[in-house]
Amino acid sequence: MTSEHDRLEAARTQELPWKKWGPYLSERQWGTVREDYSEGGDAWNYFSHDQARSRAYRWGEDGLAGISDDQQRLCFALALWNGKDAILKERLFGLTNNESNHGEDVKEYYFYLDSTPTHSYLKYLYKYPQAAFPYADLVETSRRRSRNEFEYELLDTGVFDENRYFDCVVEYAKQTPEDILIQITIHNRGPEAAELHVLPTLWFRNQWSWHAASGRPILRQVPGLPGQSVVQAVDPKLGERYLYCLADVPLLFTENETNTQRIFGVANRTPYVKDGINNCVVLGEAAAINPQQTGTKAAAHYRLIVGPGQSETIQLRLSDMAPAALASGNGRAGAPLGGQFEEVLELRRNEADDFYKAITPGTLSADEANVMRQALAGMLWTKQFYHYDVDKWLEERGCDPFKATRKAAPRNDHWHHMYNGDVISMPDKWEYPWYAAWDLAFHVLPLTLVDPDFGKQQLKLMLRERYIHPNGQIPAYEWNFGDVNPPVHAWATIFTYRLDKARQGEGDKEWLKSCFQKLLLNFTWWVNRKDRSGRNVFEGGFLGLDNIGVFDRSAPLPTGGYLEQADGTAWMALYCQNMLEIAIELAMTEPDYADMSLKFTEHFLWIASAMGHMSGDTGMWDEEDGFYYDVLRLPDGGAQRLKVRSMVGLLPLCAATTFEGDRLAKYPEIGERFRRFLDARPELRTAIHDPLKNGVAGRRLASILDETKLRRVLAKLLDEREFLSDFGIRSLSRYHADHPYVIQASGQEYRVAYLPAESDTGMFGGNSNWRGPIWMPVNLLVMRALLQYYSYYGDAFTVECPTGSGRQMNLYQVAEEIGRRLSNIFLQDGAGRRPVFGGAKKFQDDPHWRDYLLFYEYFHGDNGAGLGASHQTGWTGVIARIMHLFATLTPEAALSGSKTAYFETEGRAAKREAVGAR
Amino acid sequence: MLAVRKHEVALFVDRSTRQWIVRDPEGNFWIVPSVENAWDHREPFHPVEDTDLEPIPGHYKYLFRLPFY
Repeated sequence: MTSEHDRLEAARTQELPWKKWGPYLSERQWGTVREDYSEGGDAWNYFSHDQARSRAYRWGEDGLAGISDDQQRLCFALALWNGKDAILKERLFGLTNNESNHGEDVKEYYFYLDSTPTHSYLKYLYKYPQAAFPYADLVETSRRRSRNEFEYELLDTGVFDENRYFDCVVEYAKQTPEDILIQITIHNRGPEAAELHVLPTLWFRNQWSWHAASGRPILRQVPGLPGQSVVQAVDPKLGERYLYCLADVPLLFTENETNTQRIFGVANRTPYVKDGINNCVVLGEAAAINPQQTGTKAAAHYRLIVGPGQSETIQLRLSDMAPAALASGNGRAGAPLGGQFEEVLELRRNEADDFYKAITPGTLSADEANVMRQALAGMLWTKQFYHYDVDKWLEERGCDPFKATRKAAPRNDHWHHMYNGDVISMPDKWEYPWYAAWDLAFHVLPLTLVDPDFGKQQLKLMLRERYIHPNGQIPAYEWNFGDVNPPVHAWATIFTYRLDKARQGEGDKEWLKSCFQKLLLNFTWWVNRKDRSGRNVFEGGFLGLDNIGVFDRSAPLPTGGYLEQADGTAWMALYCQNMLEIAIELAMTEPDYADMSLKFTEHFLWIASAMGHMSGDTGMWDEEDGFYYDVLRLPDGGAQRLKVRSMVGLLPLCAATTFEGDRLAKYPEIGERFRRFLDARPELRTAIHDPLKNGVAGRRLASILDETKLRRVLAKLLDEREFLSDFGIRSLSRYHADHPYVIQASGQEYRVAYLPAESDTGMFGGNSNWRGPIWMPVNLLVMRALLQYYSYYGDAFTVECPTGSGRQMNLYQVAEEIGRRLSNIFLQDGAGRRPVFGGAKKFQDDPHWRDYLLFYEYFHGDNGAGLGASHQTGWTGVIARIMHLFATLTPEAALSGSKTAYFETEGRAAKREAVGAR
Repeated sequence: MLAVRKHEVALFVDRSTRQWIVRDPEGNFWIVPSVENAWDHREPFHPVEDTDLEPIPGHYKYLFRLPFY
């Protein structure tokens, strides 16, 4: 076991709070729903980037390369000034949804280079131009561009020409859980010496202004050793902390309070407000900072002149150790930050290397290992303290749910039970600094590679009474908690349970049980709310796939009527399978759950067979095309399939799960009841895979698709003219490039054409596109299903891959091939190019850029270039799990051990580490 | 018994005069200055037809140490 594993164990047993401090600071708090108190719910415009430096936040904080404690009482982040900008660089800049031609987009270059799961070591890189940051140019040029043009990126502005920028590397190393060493290294990549103001900033989240009873914390300068400037931070709940700054530098103090003069036009109550440090440094307003050297926001002001190609370093220490203790008990006498600073920093770096070496399969190349490590580092950096008390928020906007005189809130009006105040894995801390339920389920898959406890905690969190609605709905995301995300929570739950069981030797049944009870509520919510006709066919609206349909699936249809959704129904079939898996696992020790296993078996059969049988000849399966489609039910009783070949039609393939034949042998009466059920309803078995048919090793397969349908869908999936690209499975068939799907309704033409890059419509904000690009999470589901089919059909079942190539593969090989193509998005090709960087020359060629990876939201359907949110390491981080899986699993093991094979492989590795430590 | 209608406490800014305005539970409007113990220094405010009051988020009410919430 490595030192980091020891720290994880100490955190798990609550021996030491190694996870108390971490990168929990958001990268954007402005423009969020939480901070929006506008009448109409215009979050982007109500609280703008321009206001952010002057206006205190209500619900959270943001900053550059920042950290905070896990209740976000005290925050630390970096602020910079190049002497040219009109404002300090205190936070990342980006365009709002309306400003950019493809929706909101951060316009900065920053990289999550490393993190251990306890954040004992963190490394972050920010690239800051030496010339004035082109704020206005980015806004104005982007606004002029149409949806058919590329986004205007920061590199396009020319501000990085001649490498006139600083690489600002921030590293954190915890000496103890409460003692954090901070090193900031500034590299001048340009041809001339340049000055940079560096302002490491410490501040309290403002809670005192918004609560009558909240005690006010304080920052103040206190004496330190020679060559050291010290800020003392005192908070009634957090206690005392000290920020030690190496060198005798000026400390600037102000208050983290709104500049009401600037924001509301009313005189300030105090001259020291949130933008005081900004105004002092940039505008030279000395009166903007408190000469008493006290406040709630403070910064050390370093001025560095860095030579061309040179670097300068700043060292700080955020600690619970008082100056006297630091001077006497920690290191060599007279060393301002304690004598062990460099040693501890180097030790934590090495321990991070050891940790990643332990979890990275030895068969991966150096480049592959780098991709995996940065993906996981990104996942860990994307943890954020998320605070939102919806009841309070509603009350503060005059929408108190328990007052008769209330007015309706523009959103989340019925979610007043919610109180969120936790560290949560975000999709992207700038573009999506709020949790999304189905994203989170995918996040857990890679996160459990490094921190299984965090994965378990996250899954359970979403099911707590402070999150899940009393009616059983899992919150979708803050823009509309009542929206509907695909139900993948149960899948992530059984995955995480099995992983934990293999590692620990026994499963955490109590955790599984408690999740199962809440998931039952959620399953029932789905059945009651999204099956309009009671015939086991489901709707659900956009279901996470935004613009994939010919109509906006979350809005009333222009034709009238409603949609029976192939994806909605397939998701529910998969949900049944996952609940069945959990019920069977629990039934092994608790007989009460045996009955639930039968319930979910039967429910699966109802749903699966409904996909084939519904309403005679207008079911979702199209025999002519060999594909599944949504069915449009019209008000006059007519029906038609909407023949768009998309991920919607591939999802039925994903609803496949194998079961060991003997799992329920100890409950013969359950088997008997199941047989009676099938005997009484023979029609259920005719349109789907026969659940009684044995496969390899006596396994059973729950699948909507029988072998014939499976082969027909796979022929399209693996056809490079349709779904299979060089970089994974496309969300829409390339067939529609030449054959757009067109339908007329209410005098208007609606069409879907293959669009491999950004969206050309404003549907769903226009910043995502499911009409062609490659999306990592659904690719993962396809691969999962292929491995399930493989463990049932075995080596004898082969298909041509790619279709028309003449090359036969079994389904394990097909899954592996898709994994290989997905990995190739990030890996250097023979020419040293990484497809993810597309045509960005700087990223492709420059040694200071080319190995710093970005894990985008989705990828170009033909060339693999990254698109959408640039730091959605969130679910794109599943690439780490994919690489790990195919580097450790073998087809033989998959066949002999079925679904537990992979977990046992990982469990064995964990045990080897433990033995090695002894 | 007559029901006495209570108004929602609300905060506003009057940008033309650069002042905070508070509406109390009885529906009266008050000017509150930007000082400590602002409520103790309130003065009556009488909106007229063209008064343009911009709503301020409810959490700012704690700034004024109002005797009601």
